[in-house]
Amino acid sequence: MRRAGFLSAAVLVAFSTPAIRAQADVASDQAAAILVFPKIVVDTSNPPNTQRGPIDTLIRVSNTSDNPVSMYCFYVNANGHCHNSGTICDPYDRSAPNTCGDTDVCEAGWHESDFVVHLSPRQPIAWLASAGAAPCSESASGLPCFPLVVSGQPPNRVQPVPEDPFIGELKCLAVDVNVVPVESNVLKGEAQITRSQKAAAGVTDVLDVETYNAIGIPAIPGTNNGDATLVLGGGVCVGGPSAGANCTSAAACPGGRCSAEYSGCPNILVMDHFFDGARDPVSQKIVTTKLTLVPCSEDFEKQQQVPVTIQFLVFNEFEQRFSTSNSVNCFREFRISDIDRAGQDRSIFSAAVNGTLTGQTRLRGVVGDNPSYGYTLLGVVEEFRNGGGTAAFNLHFQGSRPQSDFVYLP
Amino acid sequence: MGSASGMIGRWAVVVSLALVGTTAIAHADITTERSASILIFPKILFDSTGLQTGVPVNTIIQISNTSNSMVFAHCFYVNAVPPDPTRPPSVTNVPIWQEVDFEIFLTKQQPTHWLLSDGRLDDPSDNKSCSTDCSGAGFDPGHIPPAGNDPFTGELKCIEVDSSGAPINGNHLKGEATIVTTDGKAEVSKYNAVGVLGLNTDLNSNNSDNTLCLGGGVSPSCPTGAEYNACPQTVILNHFAEGATDPVVEHLGNGPSSVSTELTLVPCTEDFENQVPPSVVVQFLITNEFESPFSTSTTVTCWGNFRLNTIGAVGRILDVGTLGTRFAQTRMFPADDSQPGFVGVVEEFHTQPATPAPLISRAAANLHDEGARVRGDIILLPGAF
Repeated sequence: MRRAGFLSAAVLVAFSTPAIRAQADVASDQAAAILVFPKIVVDTSNPPNTQRGPIDTLIRVSNTSDNPVSMYCFYVNANGHCHNSGTICDPYDRSAPNTCGDTDVCEAGWHESDFVVHLSPRQPIAWLASAGAAPCSESASGLPCFPLVVSGQPPNRVQPVPEDPFIGELKCLAVDVNVVPVESNVLKGEAQITRSQKAAAGVTDVLDVETYNAIGIPAIPGTNNGDATLVLGGGVCVGGPSAGANCTSAAACPGGRCSAEYSGCPNILVMDHFFDGARDPVSQKIVTTKLTLVPCSEDFEKQQQVPVTIQFLVFNEFEQRFSTSNSVNCFREFRISDIDRAGQDRSIFSAAVNGTLTGQTRLRGVVGDNPSYGYTLLGVVEEFRNGGGTAAFNLHFQGSRPQSDFVYLP
Repeated sequence: MGSASGMIGRWAVVVSLALVGTTAIAHADITTERSASILIFPKILFDSTGLQTGVPVNTIIQISNTSNSMVFAHCFYVNAVPPDPTRPPSVTNVPIWQEVDFEIFLTKQQPTHWLLSDGRLDDPSDNKSCSTDCSGAGFDPGHIPPAGNDPFTGELKCIEVDSSGAPINGNHLKGEATIVTTDGKAEVSKYNAVGVLGLNTDLNSNNSDNTLCLGGGVSPSCPTGAEYNACPQTVILNHFAEGATDPVVEHLGNGPSSVSTELTLVPCTEDFENQVPPSVVVQFLITNEFESPFSTSTTVTCWGNFRLNTIGAVGRILDVGTLGTRFAQTRMFPADDSQPGFVGVVEEFHTQPATPAPLISRAAANLHDEGARVRGDIILLPGAF
């Protein structure tokens, strides 16, 4: 019996470690249960309505497992609208003309719309943000569509983004057939932002493609209670002898439950970048960098925005240090030299002030006093060269924090 | 005594099991977004005339120290250009696989950069500020040589070391590579360096010898076991089928377009001491949008860079005509456990018709990874003289 008990203990040790192992970090290079696409842009009008266009985003997702999985996805519409006229405007680009006129202002918005998609084993799917997608039997030629119907499920249908032009975020999470969140770290995704234009009177041919990996937030095995409040990081044991202790896995709370259902978002984001206004030493073109940030916490139920103050710490190649701050409510796209609201050649993000080509900037969401949010951020970076030449890449992450972030589903 | 030794034996088993579990934890993954002890830039290109790459191209390398202490790194260029750069690599045009190394140092939180074509001279006279033309401004991180050849196609690997040059597990390095065409169009693609985390940075499990052990257990080459995380068991790529149309370009009415994907893979095992290029047979398992499986394989020796439609050339298995759908998911893994693991990066080339010549835009992305190799990989650094 003692031997049996000993073996049980050994087996317990052996089997409990994979649970610890499974508590992975937020990452853009591993399959996960939640995918965050921080930036989706659309402007398909010709001529375009914004300085970004004509532009569209191709969203690509695949199931990395041998089992079917469903996705519950949320478009977050962060378009600005003129306060009086209601027309779409750009609240993020300080260099863009005020399309609302002298007697009106552009107000940033926040609105979510959602849909469900079913993926068969290993299946890759894709859709255009501007057009959505439907079963191939109903789809217009040339558009991405869904060739398969997953057994026992209705045909997939993704609606287009609610407005054109559009700027915002897409978030998708793994769910079961009843749209209940599940611990399936099987989703991977990419966003491809393409600016394309044909030569015509006054315009030249343009093709500029950039791609970034969706950020994956992995589920922590054995902790999901299947409710509509997703808890990201900051785990505390609920019940059992370890009640109240911090936890990052189910194994840390014997007889109880770890409150964290998903890995926590990073404490600090790190961005290597060219300073705005610097000349690319290869192409000799002037480089501008845009940073898009979204809060990790989101309230899709009450449609409430999550205000986060961001601290920026900037180092140039002389190891000289600068800092500034700004804020994000639900979505924010910054040209980095607009972050400190200075002139282009006076910003701490400009080459003229820093005197070097590249810098390292560390970003930290400041913890506020509302325990319903964790005040962490995720984002993506884009580099633009005047006259063309665009690239997107993912931010680096550092650490985690004791507070949980929350995603409240409808 | 027997009882005591039995108890010790049991505890040894328990501890062993726990350690096995701990090892499994520590060998979790590689990363493209956390600072690490080994940085791998799988694809760096310099080709001033486009002889090898088809278009003139250069690479900007950025590396940062994410810590508040000075950091040192030992870096290796691996030149995989074939002797006749006008022809692709082949059995009659075997790449040279030449390694050149150098050291850099970065002060607290310091970012730095250099051009592959020029390197970066340790030149105190250029430590002055600039307003626009800033290349070279800032503290020089050492004396960085330029690429050894024009053209140069290959890999850059940087390993964190201490001030004496001995490898350490600091996890203080992050990096990016920006590939820019120099034909006036300035097509740009950018990716994050692949990072391999050093294990147990607080205890520094690294024995600081010239044999770097990436995953795996105790072995004659790795008497203290793994010093770094293991390379992935499987690498995953979502991609366009070769020759498929770009739906954005088509939807905006600017077609007919096409997309081609270039995959770059480098083995995790490398022998810089004996200059022996490692080889790995890479298996490809492809699933199209109908969930139909396909498979093929290829061999990567030292550095592999190929368009997807040149893999499994018979039938061009990754062509849109063969796959039958526009998108696919491809899983790649070593043919068996005895072979090295590998990491890589992908670059897409989108084409849109234009006058006088089609427009081509390139975009790079990091690959996804899954699992950890049990067997482990070894990087053998050049020994002391």
